Amino acid sequence: MIKFRGVNKWFGALHVLKDITLNVEPREVVVVCGPSGSGKSTLIRCINGLETIKNGDLVVDGQRLGDRATNMTELRTEVGFVFQSFNLYPHKTALENVILAPIHVRKIPKAEAEIAGREMLAKVGLADKFNSYPAELSGGQQQRVAIARCLCMRPKIMLFDEPTSALDPEMISEVLDVMVGVAEEGMTMMVVTHEMGFARKVARRVVFMDAGAIVETGPPEEFFSNPKTDRSRAFLSKILRH
Amino acid sequence: MIWQQLQSLIGSYPLALRGLAMTIALSLLSLILGTLIGFFLGVLRTKGNRLIIRVIGAWVDLIRGTPFLVQIFLIFFILPELGIELDAFTAGIIALTNLAACFICEIVAAGIRSVPTGQVEAALASGLSQWHRMRQVVLPQAMRVALPPLVGQYVLLIKDSSVVSAIGLTDLTRVGWLVVQRVPNGLLVFAIVGAGYFVVCYPLILLARRLEKNMNAAHGEVQL
Repeated sequence: MIKFRGVNKWFGALHVLKDITLNVEPREVVVVCGPSGSGKSTLIRCINGLETIKNGDLVVDGQRLGDRATNMTELRTEVGFVFQSFNLYPHKTALENVILAPIHVRKIPKAEAEIAGREMLAKVGLADKFNSYPAELSGGQQQRVAIARCLCMRPKIMLFDEPTSALDPEMISEVLDVMVGVAEEGMTMMVVTHEMGFARKVARRVVFMDAGAIVETGPPEEFFSNPKTDRSRAFLSKILRH
Repeated sequence: MIWQQLQSLIGSYPLALRGLAMTIALSLLSLILGTLIGFFLGVLRTKGNRLIIRVIGAWVDLIRGTPFLVQIFLIFFILPELGIELDAFTAGIIALTNLAACFICEIVAAGIRSVPTGQVEAALASGLSQWHRMRQVVLPQAMRVALPPLVGQYVLLIKDSSVVSAIGLTDLTRVGWLVVQRVPNGLLVFAIVGAGYFVVCYPLILLARRLEKNMNAAHGEVQL
């Protein structure tokens, strides 16, 4: 579903992605973790073209990024992206946020989109918030609207960029619960997160990155209990200490 | 004495109405045209290619850096030299529209730049086309920032329209000059002229204030 082969990227002189090779199968859930600045966000931002790669191959849903034949706008409709800072449209209600892309990209009639949008918002536990503006919602509620906004496009892949790091601790689980639900329905997911509980529960693989390179990959149980490299051990000892 | 002057003033009300109508026509036409062109240029200024951005930037700087009176003279007296015949009304409209477009371009561009990149990324990530990103996501948020200075600019435009009296258009200001020759009481005459402008501008000022309030209430910031 997502194939990185020898992918490199620089920000100026900074080598942010170093020879990345990674294969994500359909319906697979991959958690990406690593210290800040290790390139994990950049990695998943490349997948829907929010960042461009310098060299190597990146194939998403059978389409090679950077090819002339690849229509990025079309590809993006198949790839949902959840941001750390939610990025809901502040001038639109929860329901309007959710139905905007289905109406203008999928060309679904408004009435139909609204039905689907209400259903999706109810599914993430926000049946009473259809007409609320983002400013009237808590962080956890905003992030759940953002996830519903992606799901309404019926994407094939969902990418999550630190979806819970901007949240107060008591709101993290409500967002993670929604994400677990999405994973259990068989969505192909790449999730940048340090939520090890989430990784243990739904991830098939954990990818550990440091300084722009993939250092270690493995099933969550193995990675958490028996990390193979010094760098992953050092990282885990920092995030699991508390 | 003052009684006679007042009577004479009342007698010249048809002229005053014509002047007021001219001022409103000039302002309204150039306001509409200037807004359309200004929005178009403002969007181009943030999204267009580098050459277009440079050209627009240079033109805006040129217009902002020269007196409006000089611009009007250039259009009215120089263009006919080049073989383009213009009546005073058309010249006035062109000059005012150009001025409005330049200021509105800057206001709109500043509004667009104020929209957080995360908003564009979210729109991009959901597959919205450039037109829909602009129309549905960026411009509505840019407007919240741009609207108060935009309406402020409209008020300035109405007041700047008084400069076109210099090329012989009988607007409110010129009516003042004409009347004051018959009624030698400059204070009284131009107080009335000033009141005429104020009557047109004040509703706009009130409108700006209300719009600002409404938009602030409806479109809150995203709280993290």
